[in-house]
Amino acid sequence: MIPAAAQASVPAAARAGSLQERAARLSAARLKGKTGRYLIYLGVFGLVVWSVHGTIVVDTDWERIGGLSAIARSVGRFAAVDFELVPHLLGPTLETFMVACLGTLLGMCMSVPVAWLGARNIAPFAPIAYPIARALMTISRSVHEIVWALIFVSAVGLGALPGILALALRSIGFISKMTAEAIEDVDPKVIEAIRAVGGNRFQIVLYGILPQILPVFLGTIIFEWDINIRRSAIMGLVGAGGLGLAFHRQMVMYNYPGVTTVILAILSLIVIGEVVSYYGRKAVI
Amino acid sequence: MSGIDARTAPASTAPRRWSRFKYPQSLIRYGVLLAVLMFLTYSTDYLNIHWDRFLAMFGRVGDLMVNRYYPPDIPYVLDGRYLGYVLETIQMAFLGALFGLLISAPLAWFAAFNMTPSKRFVFPLARLAIMGCRSVHEMIWAILFVTILGFGVLPGVLALTLFSVGFAGKLLAEEVEAIDRGQVEAVRASGANEFQVMLYAVLPQVRVAWTGIAIYTWDVAFRAATVVGFFGAGGMGWYLKRNVQQLETERVAAILLSIIFLVIVAEVISAWARDRVAKN
Repeated sequence: MIPAAAQASVPAAARAGSLQERAARLSAARLKGKTGRYLIYLGVFGLVVWSVHGTIVVDTDWERIGGLSAIARSVGRFAAVDFELVPHLLGPTLETFMVACLGTLLGMCMSVPVAWLGARNIAPFAPIAYPIARALMTISRSVHEIVWALIFVSAVGLGALPGILALALRSIGFISKMTAEAIEDVDPKVIEAIRAVGGNRFQIVLYGILPQILPVFLGTIIFEWDINIRRSAIMGLVGAGGLGLAFHRQMVMYNYPGVTTVILAILSLIVIGEVVSYYGRKAVI
Repeated sequence: MSGIDARTAPASTAPRRWSRFKYPQSLIRYGVLLAVLMFLTYSTDYLNIHWDRFLAMFGRVGDLMVNRYYPPDIPYVLDGRYLGYVLETIQMAFLGALFGLLISAPLAWFAAFNMTPSKRFVFPLARLAIMGCRSVHEMIWAILFVTILGFGVLPGVLALTLFSVGFAGKLLAEEVEAIDRGQVEAVRASGANEFQVMLYAVLPQVRVAWTGIAIYTWDVAFRAATVVGFFGAGGMGWYLKRNVQQLETERVAAILLSIIFLVIVAEVISAWARDRVAKN
């Protein structure tokens, strides 16, 4: 069975002719593949040289950076922890955590219709809705959260709300893409069975599709929530509160030990998020 | 079994109530759900978010888009100097992803539980390094490197390097953990040391997957590179920051459009290249 299938996959032209001809043809094809590969390597190498020249040789002012000792001195300024700051960080940490939770929740709510329209098998008016939903997903993923935050800060003002909105819009892309793919992969027999007993469109989604995609959907949301904690920690850099604001404040005050403290607070929050997300995903799947 | 009993003898027993989750489990589920909902409600209160403010946002965003961002200043982004910064961004993303991959390839070897040279010392250290790079957002890396090295492309490259280590290290290690043990044992039985096992038994197995991950890393690094300049690390981000602060909203709109366009182009190229690699 297997050799026959393998032979069928070889083009008919390669099978024709004597053994030597075939060997010559195969080695020629291989050589061609090799030259292509070496051309790619050469191209990558050229790109490296060009980029290193452009960024590291031309653009960087090595004299200003100074020697290794100067760099070590500037790194050394961070090597301390400002314990006095710790009580003042509890509020921002909680705020960052809440922004991440609410942003994920809002993103989840907004990604449901996008996933519905972006799944080819259940989308209504598929020729129109499908490309629109796909475009929404791409835009949501391709714009960085900082940029979303900037837009919303200028629209709704400072505070936690622009951070939540930015995280929500940034999360739509990933959640709805994974969900739409899960919907496209559902078992069609279940849908057929429900249709056979007279279920309407809504009932098909409720009883045929939802139970099948729920683990994927919840797992994706927990994953995205974990990432959103990371993102919400920088929302404050552009005026949306939380630990990012504390980081920015310590930075502009040149209180480098304080900066280290804020980073440690972010890290501890992320470790908590990672542990919760690990057990949460285990419980869901 | 009891379900069949209930169906075959419906008259004798009282109608049974069916639920997917039995008593203690169902209580835990509802308890968790309730706790999450209470926390979310409390946080809207704590963060001072009012519904009217949230609903008024839609009108304001629409207003902003139409009145201030609307005719995007396209000629501004077609200007030669801006395109120079675009090239710089591409270079930065390329170098960051490349250095990151060069660092994360050995790290992935150390951080793969089945192949690591020492499960007790090297494995946790490598895992910790990858997790540390992942946990800190690329923006914070960029700010830290800008404070240490000054403005320029180099801090951006370094920030993207650490970002790529965090991103690719985990994926590469997961690929190594999923390999077939047979070839490893065969190579080891012929007397190879750890490095030779990695080179001749593991690398050929993960080569295709690693190439795909490398291309994907470049794509993601480019996405991050478009904005690391926001805090002084070179590339288009600096243009964005300048125009945001000068309230040149039409130029900002054009820059955002150019970012979306470039990211989509990068995504298409990366999808095509990954497809090619997977087929060969």
